[in-house]
Amino acid sequence: MALLEIRNLHVNVEGAEILKGLDLTIEPGKVHAIMGPNGGGKSTLAKALVGDEAYEITEGEVLFNGQDLLEMDPEERAREGVFLGFQYPVEIPGVSNTYFLKAAVNAMRKHRGEGEIDAMEFLELVKERAKRVKLDETLLQRPVNEGFSGGEKKRNEIFHMSVLEPQLGILDETDSGLDIDALRTVSEGVNAMRAEDRSFLVITHYQRLLDYIVPDVVHVLMDGRIVKTGGKELAKELESKGYEGIDEAAA
Amino acid sequence: MEAAVQPKSVYLEEFEGRTDVGPEWLDTLHERGIRAFEARGFPGAREEAWRKTNLRPVTAEHFPLADSQGVAPKELIERLGDLGDSYRLVFVDGRLAADLSDLTDLAKGLTVTPFSEYDGNPPERLVAALGARADIDWQPFAALNSAFFVDGAYIHVARGAMIEKPIAVTHVVTAEADRRAVYPRLVVEAEDGAEVRVVERFIGDDQAGALVCPVSELSAGRNTILDYSRLQEDGVATMNIGTVNLAAQRDASLRGAFVGDGGRLARLDLVADLEGEGGEIDCNGIYLTEGRQFTDFHTWFNHRVENCFSRQRFKGILQGRSETVFDGLVKVFEGAQKTDAVQENRNLVLGKRALAHSNPRLEIFADDVKCTHGSTVGELDEEALFYLRTRGISAEGAQGMLTLAFAGEIVDMFRVSGVRDHVRRVLMRRLGVEDADIGEIL
Repeated sequence: MALLEIRNLHVNVEGAEILKGLDLTIEPGKVHAIMGPNGGGKSTLAKALVGDEAYEITEGEVLFNGQDLLEMDPEERAREGVFLGFQYPVEIPGVSNTYFLKAAVNAMRKHRGEGEIDAMEFLELVKERAKRVKLDETLLQRPVNEGFSGGEKKRNEIFHMSVLEPQLGILDETDSGLDIDALRTVSEGVNAMRAEDRSFLVITHYQRLLDYIVPDVVHVLMDGRIVKTGGKELAKELESKGYEGIDEAAA
Repeated sequence: MEAAVQPKSVYLEEFEGRTDVGPEWLDTLHERGIRAFEARGFPGAREEAWRKTNLRPVTAEHFPLADSQGVAPKELIERLGDLGDSYRLVFVDGRLAADLSDLTDLAKGLTVTPFSEYDGNPPERLVAALGARADIDWQPFAALNSAFFVDGAYIHVARGAMIEKPIAVTHVVTAEADRRAVYPRLVVEAEDGAEVRVVERFIGDDQAGALVCPVSELSAGRNTILDYSRLQEDGVATMNIGTVNLAAQRDASLRGAFVGDGGRLARLDLVADLEGEGGEIDCNGIYLTEGRQFTDFHTWFNHRVENCFSRQRFKGILQGRSETVFDGLVKVFEGAQKTDAVQENRNLVLGKRALAHSNPRLEIFADDVKCTHGSTVGELDEEALFYLRTRGISAEGAQGMLTLAFAGEIVDMFRVSGVRDHVRRVLMRRLGVEDADIGEIL
């Protein structure tokens, strides 16, 4: 069974149709990349998958592990194993990164019928995962994303993902604003999580992230639909030829 | 032409006919109180400082002095332990409850005494301090208190005495005080170089539709540390209209922790006077309202001399259809150069029909000062709520988490750990946060 199956998805934002019948299937263990020009609907797809109410589903269905994802509240989707690394991570004043993650981890454990995580075990986990994405340890005690630099925020998203261990990690333009060092670190964080039962949907405007997170499948999303699907070489092709040619080919 | 005869107020009639007068040495103050009240009367609808406070439930009927002591139910007595280890002085319906109080092993240099214990022989210091600060010509409820109070608490800390254990003065109102008035009174004096923590708390039966008018006068001598917490947690039917006077002498550090979450109508006039150079008054407050509660904090901070610091940080969390007022004055007197005054009022409106008023006022008569103020009324950040939910936190949990974080900035400033822990529990209960993990955020 596919991990994620999107069929004929239509999504409106403020009355305008952004996704116009999108189909996408992701098998367990695979990394899919979605590329495409700005305004094509990449971020809309990401937000719709995690249940942002500003994104209105007008048609279509999404199955996650065979279950109707669109019926679930955002927190249920998270507990079932869907994670979104935000393009613009939100600052949460007054809520420490560590306490927040502990509440999140325990919410997930509760959902699975497990007891609360042991405090020491949790601290060790957090430290180990922070090291993996080279997240400065002082950021663990600070309020979530508050006063973090752009790169620190993106690292923090990957750090959250590595602690929460989702089945599907959706990364929305995680590469934007990252220098080459940070890009490498973040990518290593993602690659370390690749596993047979875990998939990724990497949304990016540029090909360079895909040099580090090498995808199994590349899709081109334009004007609300997937217009082309190929292997990792498609990304290279897009890099050299741009999207114009694709547009014509698809038309 | 006949001269119109000024009708007597019901309170003057009560005063003239009362038999329950308390110790004789209070007579002079009682007289002054009723005269001030009679001259002033209740605030008119057009008085600016009272415009937003709907006093009709207070003025529409007469609340005679609660003339006997009701029996506090077990649930209220249990709450006396909420604040942890402390010296304890308890008044029930305005009268000393010796059996609920515990003043054993008072530290050296510390006096904690109910007025009623002095009989005919009060210390001169107390007589001088009582009523010295509260302005009864200006605040009619302080005048009523001064006319009718029969007991109160006197806390005195001798020069240089460091008192670590907090002193908790609790005013309990029972159902028997329904439709009656209770007049709590507190005098705190910290002499030069002393350090002390005082908690004043109001709790009561939900059936008690009483009028509670407390007057608290606190004075911090030179180079003292005086920490005052005031927890207004009355029963839901009670009206609490009080005044607090804080006065700081040279190099004194006076800290206030204010919590307002009880009563149907609550108003506090907080007057802070910086009277000696190098003094500071730092007040942090949180109010938490629900249903149709009305809570009003009026502050009057007076920088009378130079080189003083004051800070007011008040936050409101409004649920249901409640209404709140924060109206804060910073007044810098002529010559009070190098004043540093900060005022901040932030309100989080959770109830769709709740209403928060926020009104900062600055009056500055010196030219070399730093005065900042900020005031906001807002809702929870939708983006933040969504972000938390995408990490598996429930909608209620996310709301609780953000609200606790909002409150946390104030609660963290409370220096008495028993107060801090108590307020955290109150917040978690009121916000319906059951998850201990989320509570840990505070």
